[in-house]
Amino acid sequence: MTWEMLISLLAAAVQSGTPVLYATLGEIFTERSGILNLGVEGMMICGALAAFVVAQMTGSPALGFLFGGMAGLALSALHGLVCIGFNGNQVVSGLALTILGTGLANYLGTPFIGTEAPKFLAYPLPLLSRIPVIGPIFFQHNMLVYLSFLVPPLMWLFLNRTRSGLALRAAGEYPAAATAAGLSVSAFRWTGVLVGGFFAGLGGAYLTIAYTSWTTGISAGRGWIAVALVIFAFWHPGRAVLGAYLFGGVMAFQFRLQAMGTHIPSSLLLMLPYLLTVIVLVLSSRRGKGKQAPAFLGVNIEPSE
Amino acid sequence: MRKWITGAGFALVLSMIFWCGTASAEEAAKELKVGFVYVSPVGDAGWSYAHDQGRLVIDEMEGVETAYVEKVPEGPDAERVMLNMARKDFDLVFATSFGYMDPMLKVAQRFPDVTFMHCSGFKTADNMGNYFGRMYQARYLTGMVAGAMTESNVLGFVAAFPIPEVIRGINAFALGAQAVNPDATVRVVWTKTWYDPATEKEAAKSLLDIGADVIAQHQDSPGPQEAAQEQGVYSIGYNTDMRAFAPKAHLVAAVWNWAPFYTEMVKQVRNGTWEPKAYWYGIEKGIVDISTINDIVPQEIQKQVLERKGEIVEEKFHVFSGPIRDQKGKERIAEGKTATDPEMLGMDWFVEGVVGTTE
Amino acid sequence: MNQWLRITKRQERPAWRSCLVLAGAILFSLAVSAFLLAVQGRPPLRGLWLLFQGAYGSLWAIEDCLNKAVPIYLCSLGVAVAFRLQVWNIGAEGQYALGAVGATWAALSFPGLPAVFLIPAMMAVAFAAGALWGLIPAILKLRMRANEIIVTLMLNYIAILFLDYLVYGPWKDPVSFGFPMTPIFPPAAVIDRIGGTGLHWGLALCVVCGLLIWVFFRFTRLGYELKASGENVRAARYARLPYSRLVLLVMALSGALAGWAGFVEASATLNRLQPSIMVGYGYTAIVVAWLARLNPLYIGFAAFLLAGLRVGVENLQLELQVPAAFGQIMEGLILLSVLAGGFFIDYRLSLRRRS
Repeated sequence: MTWEMLISLLAAAVQSGTPVLYATLGEIFTERSGILNLGVEGMMICGALAAFVVAQMTGSPALGFLFGGMAGLALSALHGLVCIGFNGNQVVSGLALTILGTGLANYLGTPFIGTEAPKFLAYPLPLLSRIPVIGPIFFQHNMLVYLSFLVPPLMWLFLNRTRSGLALRAAGEYPAAATAAGLSVSAFRWTGVLVGGFFAGLGGAYLTIAYTSWTTGISAGRGWIAVALVIFAFWHPGRAVLGAYLFGGVMAFQFRLQAMGTHIPSSLLLMLPYLLTVIVLVLSSRRGKGKQAPAFLGVNIEPSE
Repeated sequence: MRKWITGAGFALVLSMIFWCGTASAEEAAKELKVGFVYVSPVGDAGWSYAHDQGRLVIDEMEGVETAYVEKVPEGPDAERVMLNMARKDFDLVFATSFGYMDPMLKVAQRFPDVTFMHCSGFKTADNMGNYFGRMYQARYLTGMVAGAMTESNVLGFVAAFPIPEVIRGINAFALGAQAVNPDATVRVVWTKTWYDPATEKEAAKSLLDIGADVIAQHQDSPGPQEAAQEQGVYSIGYNTDMRAFAPKAHLVAAVWNWAPFYTEMVKQVRNGTWEPKAYWYGIEKGIVDISTINDIVPQEIQKQVLERKGEIVEEKFHVFSGPIRDQKGKERIAEGKTATDPEMLGMDWFVEGVVGTTE
Repeated sequence: MNQWLRITKRQERPAWRSCLVLAGAILFSLAVSAFLLAVQGRPPLRGLWLLFQGAYGSLWAIEDCLNKAVPIYLCSLGVAVAFRLQVWNIGAEGQYALGAVGATWAALSFPGLPAVFLIPAMMAVAFAAGALWGLIPAILKLRMRANEIIVTLMLNYIAILFLDYLVYGPWKDPVSFGFPMTPIFPPAAVIDRIGGTGLHWGLALCVVCGLLIWVFFRFTRLGYELKASGENVRAARYARLPYSRLVLLVMALSGALAGWAGFVEASATLNRLQPSIMVGYGYTAIVVAWLARLNPLYIGFAAFLLAGLRVGVENLQLELQVPAAFGQIMEGLILLSVLAGGFFIDYRLSLRRRS
């Protein structure tokens, strides 16, 4: 493998890791507030469809991107309603959301298959894209990739350096204490769910308006990968970046192995990303003793007075 | 007041029942009911979509009514769907995936009055035939274009699943390329998806990375075309003319056109000339073809390709005519022989010059 | 909302109210589905009627639904066992795949055995393979503190790809014209039909397993302790077995049951192993287990209901050309409304009087 190929591999990792990154960041935000939402896959695919349709109708990919996020948000509101409003089980509600979202998007999206919508094109950033090695890997993509660079630091700042961020984390860690302090736990959990849904929708939108076009089943399991990466990242936005690019990179790597003429059966090569996720999860779970899930993740707050 | 509401409710229910009743009465008046069983959603713009385009054409025929069931898993689900079609008095059933073969045979034996047609298999019964298109012929022609246009002599092939249909296509593509450019090699990447644009685009990029300058595909999405266009190299389409997705890259596409075949079958079943045999039509019937060749391909090459197409139509040329060796150099088809249909149906080896594994 | 409404926890939960809420939730999702049909220009009531007719409107349809409910039931029973201990096994899909692989291995390795030996051998291997696939995440959870939701999910992908590898590679039938499928099983490896019906003996396996699980949780001390530990982790301390043993036990059992589902599908319905054996029963099972509140009898009803939805949607497609995704929408809707409806079983909503 040559030097150029390595750089192109890493660039591919960033490119294909980005949609997963958006969704992972969203899920981290949701889980920090104490709500587990396994419906990322469903929210992503609805976001993908909404973004594509809006971009096609308005001619503006930026507007499409926004509406992709809104579609994810709308679906996540159902999760909020069931779990926060009606005290329903979060694991099952999330699964139901995935089933419903996939069904809805495939049902409504059929007429749009094979059509075209305006896209975010590659836009190499001036100066930055000229830096050797770093430039081609990080700064020769489209605007949505650059935007995704900004989200992790901002999210980290919000969660760790603002009063609201602290309150949101308290809703996931010590809901009883938060209530005693006069905070509305359910309001912060609602925020967590909706923002998370918005980002999942953005991740889906990236697929249809920055990478390829709409088709049924476009998210192809990426939402589930995002759920896995949240734990891999220990609920830390910074580590989510690493996880998403690592996953994208391994996928790109196995294709390159095939292209170079390996004799390993493709089924076994395709296992690599999943195996790696498990291995990394296992290794990091053992070492990271202090970094656990929010204490009240997945636990509903009794609605009675 | 309450009586009024109950009355209105009754009227509503009655009108619903009446509605259902009239709907089924209309159906009974139709002459020929044709059912299709698809393995994927028709919206996938690929394999099932191509068949459904054919269905839509026969649906326009006088006295023909069609219906389909999509996303039917191979196995018992397929058997149930076909049974239900037979029970609902369908006259002709097309099933378009290899795994539907055995279920269809079972159903065909239970319903001797219904005509069954299975796509891509090899079994027949008194009331069951099979059909397919010789896509490899079109693949060969697109391979010639690719072989002539490559400068690096590395052709990339993004492929779905290692089944004979796909392997046969890759081999024909390689043979076509080698016919005009003996140094051409074909690199294969399996995606294990039929339609995942993002993954398939990524697979195409990996081929570009190792120096491929023409990308061909046996995938239903235009992902690989987009990758080629972005990199400024060439691409070969599949299923339908994919030029819209990559106007600068797209050289030519190997395309399906099922409408004439399905029309012919409906006519045959109607006038009683249908026979339970293998219908394996090729480029001569238009079931497969190549799209218009892009103008950037030099005229002399276009001429050469069209001449070869003419020879295939007139059966003067056979794509798999010996001597043909496999990847390891072992002779698979001897000098002076051509591959038989069963040999082609079960092809599980790559010809010399293809880099990749068939597992 | 709290200005007008008062939420109070109910003291008792009579069965009739649960039934009422369940019926209400299902009616609600049917209404939304009917609305969706109407939006697409299809007659809504006729659509729902066709759905019902396709699923339960004839003897053979009911037989089909029962056969389809068998693998869903076994997977779901397994999932329910793990959920009882609050171990979130969402890996039934992978355990089912491994069970099918195990059963196939036995069927292909000992083709000469008579059915009385071969079927039990297939069951044993499928049981072991499924259990093994369930134990991996259990061990990783206990030893490495790796989250079982993620590990079971990843193992699903790995198991399916492993199955793919086998049928595309070493196990491929030499006379299948290169298509990914194993040779057809010898007759001795195929589970018989029951009498003259279209049903097979896998159904009996469901009944037996369901009864055993019910007895286990209802009448044995271990079962009781398991249930108590699941409801309250602190209770696990008073159980005779340490928590880690309980986790290993439920995950092995859970995997083994899903493995049997794979065995039944491979043996009774496909008569061979091929990639199309994977149709998502493992995920449906989670839905079913939860709809049924983890009760073995109710799981039977829920599995039959969802199997009916899947079978019925085909009729809807055939008659009204409604896309297959419609069934998924209904499944999601039913689940969400039942979940939300659960609230009304546990809580009472009342209007606040203006003071």
